Amino acid sequence: MDWFPLLNSLRISAISTFLTFFLGISAAYYIAKAPRSIKGLLDVVLTLPLVLPPTVVGYLLLCLLGPKRVFGAWVFQVFGFKMVMTWWSAVFSTTVVAFPLMYRTTRGAFESFDMTLQYAAQTLGMSNTRIFWRIRMPYCWQGILAGTVLSFARALGEYGATSMIAGYTPGKTATISTTVYQLWRTNNDALAFRWVLVNMAISFVVLMAVNLLEQKNRTRRLEVRPL
Amino acid sequence: MKKILSLVMTLAMFAILAAGCGSTAAAPAAQPTTKAEPVELTVFAAASMTETITQIQALYKTAAPEVTLIINFDSSGTLKTQIEEGADCDLFISAAQKQMNALDITSDKNTDKLDLIIPETRTNILENKVVLVVPEGNPGGINAFEDINTDKVSMIALGNADVPVGQYAQEIFTNMGVWDALQSKITFGSNVKEVTTQVSEKAVDCGVVYATDAYSAGLTAVAEAPAGSLKTPVVYPAAVTRSSKHAEAAQAFLDYLQSDACSAIFEKVGFTVVK
Repeated sequence: MDWFPLLNSLRISAISTFLTFFLGISAAYYIAKAPRSIKGLLDVVLTLPLVLPPTVVGYLLLCLLGPKRVFGAWVFQVFGFKMVMTWWSAVFSTTVVAFPLMYRTTRGAFESFDMTLQYAAQTLGMSNTRIFWRIRMPYCWQGILAGTVLSFARALGEYGATSMIAGYTPGKTATISTTVYQLWRTNNDALAFRWVLVNMAISFVVLMAVNLLEQKNRTRRLEVRPL
Repeated sequence: MKKILSLVMTLAMFAILAAGCGSTAAAPAAQPTTKAEPVELTVFAAASMTETITQIQALYKTAAPEVTLIINFDSSGTLKTQIEEGADCDLFISAAQKQMNALDITSDKNTDKLDLIIPETRTNILENKVVLVVPEGNPGGINAFEDINTDKVSMIALGNADVPVGQYAQEIFTNMGVWDALQSKITFGSNVKEVTTQVSEKAVDCGVVYATDAYSAGLTAVAEAPAGSLKTPVVYPAAVTRSSKHAEAAQAFLDYLQSDACSAIFEKVGFTVVK
């Protein structure tokens, strides 16, 4: 069995989870501090990829990154490569669809953060950066980790936008989801089903991890945590 | 508040019912008596016929006003699978004999012994050519099928093994002896229109589609299949399905497709009409 789709899916999901981790946390942190007027609007815009059909997301990404479109053509002229039809093109689509999950979960975690801890640290003279990494992040850690794992699962399961932006080249751009579709289309049901089982196994493990983390998160809030 | 709301809802319901009953009661009186009953005909047609059959659909409205055509365009492989799975279809037009054979009980290539079309109605209506197309301006300087196995082409779009044009392309490259060498350069699309779009959008260096798709999309066909590489004739068969509830109307439309008016539409985009 050619395991390329699994390796490709895993590396794409790993990279996009890495990106979503930092993007999601920064967005959650700065938007929580934003004035109420634009907070709502930004919230809607950033959550949009969660509710849009993946084909719509794929279409919009192609309008941006396609070699004939403004940005894609510029990249092609200056750097000489196309941003579509490669394995890493899928990173764009998976990051965009996974981002809202990380963002919303992290915002939830940040909003349950006990601000008195922050104020206490500020009176003790800690810098904002130190407060963020040494107090806020550890406090919200379980929620953030749950968000990260969910983003990873979503990135792994992304199909519509990925197939539009990365195409399907077995051995180069094929992911588990596009492989299952193509195998079904060419009547290779046996192999398609094997991949379905592989994907279900991974998703099962991932979601079990999320469940465990969420349970720990709930009991956590009741503890008093020393600085 | 609740009482008013339920009263309003009840009145609205009666109003809708009255309107519904009223219109069906009024209709026969308003319309002149027509000979034919309104018929909804579902046609499954290969994606490469999208532009032509859409035009013909409009023409048929004047030729047979009682018939409403519902047309499903997709790769012939997908359409064949849909018919197998029991989709409502009156007329099936495939871009290759293979998909029609799989549904024709009299065909010796029908391994699953499916009997889903009426063999007596099966006719070849069109012929097409398989060509190599490039994006606008031909940035890769590709001029022949032989160029594909060189560095000029880093990515080519083809239909997958379920799509007739993909099957034709595979035959061409296998006969040229380069099919295995090309594997890492091919991105597979689900139907010929997806392949055409990828070429138009310059996402790939070139693609193999029909001459008619190249014409409709405004793409330049730089080469035809090399001599002897494509032995299967690119013929489009059509047939009325066994499950059709309007076999006569389906046959009437099939006959219409072979009329002069339609032949002109097909030939304009590059089809060859089979006489």
